[in-house]
Amino acid sequence: MRQAFDIYRRLLGVQIRSQLQYRVSFSFDLFSAILVTATEFAALALVFERFEQIGGWTLGEVAFLFGLLEISFGIMDMVFGGFDPQDFGASVRHGSFDQIMLRPAHLLTQVLGSQFALRRLGRIVFGAGVLLFAVTVTQLDWTLAKVLYLPLVVTGMVLFFGGLYIVGSTITFWTVESIEAINILTYGGSYLISYPMHIYQNWLRRIFTYLVPAIFLNYYPVLYFLDKPDPFGFPAFAPFLSPLVGVASFVAALAFWRFGVKHYQSTGS
Amino acid sequence: MLKLYFEVAKRSFQRTLTYRAAAVAGLATNIFFGLLRVAILLALYGDRQVVEGYTVAGVITYTGLSQAVIAYLSLFGWYDFMYAVHRGDVAADLLKPMNLFSFWLAQDLGRAVASLLLRGVTFMLIYEIFFDLTYPTTIWAWLALATSLLLSWLVSFAWRFLVNTAAFWSPNARGFGRFAFLSVLFFSGFLMPLAFFPAWVQKLASFTPFPYLLNTVVEIYLGIVSGPALVEALLLQAAWALGLIVLVQAVLRFGLRRLVILGG
Amino acid sequence: MLSIVHVSKLEKTFHVRRYHQGRWASLQNLVTRRSRLIRAVDGIDFTIEAGELVGYLGPNGAGKSTTIKMLTGLLVPSSGRLIVNGFVPWKDRRHYVARIGAVFGQRTTLWWDLPVIESFELHRHLYQIPTGRFKRNLAEFNDLLELAPFLDVPVRSLSLGQRMRADICAALLHDPELLFFDEPTIGLDVVAKERIRNFIRHINEERETTVLLTTHDIADVQRLCRRVMIIDRGKLIFDGELARLLERFGGHHRLIVDFAESYAEVAVIGAELLSYSDQRAIYRFDRRKITAPALIQAVSERYAIRDLSIEEPDIETTIRTIYEKRLL
Repeated sequence: MRQAFDIYRRLLGVQIRSQLQYRVSFSFDLFSAILVTATEFAALALVFERFEQIGGWTLGEVAFLFGLLEISFGIMDMVFGGFDPQDFGASVRHGSFDQIMLRPAHLLTQVLGSQFALRRLGRIVFGAGVLLFAVTVTQLDWTLAKVLYLPLVVTGMVLFFGGLYIVGSTITFWTVESIEAINILTYGGSYLISYPMHIYQNWLRRIFTYLVPAIFLNYYPVLYFLDKPDPFGFPAFAPFLSPLVGVASFVAALAFWRFGVKHYQSTGS
Repeated sequence: MLKLYFEVAKRSFQRTLTYRAAAVAGLATNIFFGLLRVAILLALYGDRQVVEGYTVAGVITYTGLSQAVIAYLSLFGWYDFMYAVHRGDVAADLLKPMNLFSFWLAQDLGRAVASLLLRGVTFMLIYEIFFDLTYPTTIWAWLALATSLLLSWLVSFAWRFLVNTAAFWSPNARGFGRFAFLSVLFFSGFLMPLAFFPAWVQKLASFTPFPYLLNTVVEIYLGIVSGPALVEALLLQAAWALGLIVLVQAVLRFGLRRLVILGG
Repeated sequence: MLSIVHVSKLEKTFHVRRYHQGRWASLQNLVTRRSRLIRAVDGIDFTIEAGELVGYLGPNGAGKSTTIKMLTGLLVPSSGRLIVNGFVPWKDRRHYVARIGAVFGQRTTLWWDLPVIESFELHRHLYQIPTGRFKRNLAEFNDLLELAPFLDVPVRSLSLGQRMRADICAALLHDPELLFFDEPTIGLDVVAKERIRNFIRHINEERETTVLLTTHDIADVQRLCRRVMIIDRGKLIFDGELARLLERFGGHHRLIVDFAESYAEVAVIGAELLSYSDQRAIYRFDRRKITAPALIQAVSERYAIRDLSIEEPDIETTIRTIYEKRLL
């Protein structure tokens, strides 16, 4: 375990040094990462002048959802970049994954250490800015419990979407054609939960409650942070399921990953 | 000569049609995001029935229309010419007896038409199952729509090609491209109908070609512009298309001269 | 001597999906799945003794890389026994790969943007090589492969030959007992090829590292391997000394005759006439069927000869014939 961590730290060092070699393109990437997120949020913020609410929520309240999601997804994308299904699929096809299997270190450590997209910092920083804005305008009541719970919510989402990345990558051991299906969950899912869940049609919300429990990742915790009533009457612990959902899906993803590696070893893809 | 470009467009059309598996996956994604965008817009509407000419059915149709033309207009970015410059293919193409811009235009036309059928029309048909969409009612409205769609593709292609010529000057032109295509998403009315934005944003957008790339098509489809305003919109679209194409030709000439002098 | 590689009745089969053709193909493909069984490796047996240097040859798609993938633990065999270095390769991957080395000519294990020396440092940690041994090995390989001029250069800026030398060094820093080389000289110039061959021989002779080499360059085989194995369509069709390969498959010698006069027809019994023009004929004959003196006599009895010569079969042509004609 200690060795795995040591290797991970060194591999990360390599990634970071490599990226900083290309200063111009790195700054451009960082800047455009901020801009992508900013544009999307700006489009929403600008129409708020006219509409003033979305499903009964103010801009500040939606910004809380949006900022929290952006921070989490940004961290996830940075840490789990090696498992980005598109890139991982390519590394399997080009044989780079074989090279990883030929080294005497944990596969997970090595794949995680094979990519660390620093430019995602742009997204994380912008997300933090939006969250700060949300906290300021909503004037929410901070309690110690809320302060302590906030990082756990972020962790929950990082693990959930990290798990989705791993599942998507594992699928590429079988086929590269269906990556798009998992993209609906990762990109569609993150877009979905950056808005209040009660605005969606019932069938859609139910899918993302019972089939994919994404409603507990962001929406319920934010109800708790903003002291808003639960429109769906779930038990009082519902806001605190986020870390659990994250850990559970991550563990399931790891099990699927192990199964996938075994399959890969028996077919060579 | 024209026959050559027709053949190029035909090939590109057929090639695009073969990517059916990708099209199915792309359709699913487009529809999913369409559903979410409808929910968001309806939640913004609340009790409102009409906003700036967009009825509830109209704004739903707007989400469908803008999702349907993503592939047709390559809204999320297009870097093919950039790659061709960096790989050195363009230098080789110069030896062939044809006009480089027309060649790429023909190729993109084939791709665009195939995408419009495979991704666009199919998308609207499926979307119709989920929602009550509105349609243009007169033959003239359909004709205006067709003209506007064609012009929007021209504006889009000219802009995309212009952005791609940056490859002549920089090996890192992709970052610049990402910025350029992001502006399209915002100012074309893809993220939100332009009419919903504050006046100053709309003013800003009107100085760019981007509204003529999507917003005009939407407003013509929904009948928000009609009569003399419609003619004016089409003329402006055509003017932007023409202006951009002239500009691209000039920039391309500079770029190719640079390519020849520096030896690719 | 101690066997380091044991392979018996090794098999690997794949299911390859078959697609429908024709107008409704995509629909049919969705509904029904048909697959075909491919025997990539079809029951092969061999052992390799510690310290051997073995060439593993075969045409593309013969099962070569499937075998190597099983030997390196990347693939699980469908059936048969495979023990390398006391391990079942795919079972205990991390411990097993710590004691082997693998070099693939077509791709690099090094980090693209890092100076060569930093990739080596990473290997030191990945393989947990004691510092003293790491330094000794690096110094030795540095001497032999002349790495010093580019140790500080990022891998992306190296020439192919330099990159290959760096890759070979990286694969050896942890003193593997067994080395796999896959096309180590591919794409290199003559001088670079020679340097790499010398180095492979050196580590095989001095360090007694066992080497399994796959290559398409026959010169590699001639310069390095006493023993070769040839695989074709999943089966091992030859396993033995290189010299014996010639005896067994290279039966065809060539007799080149310059005649003193023009003849309309110069065929002889016992040899195949390959070409005849400008009073020069080239015959091909099998020495197991007709001896050279007998053939020469047969020719000279009928025609006036000005000059003649005999060409020995060479290994390259022999192997090419095996690949092309698939003799067995």
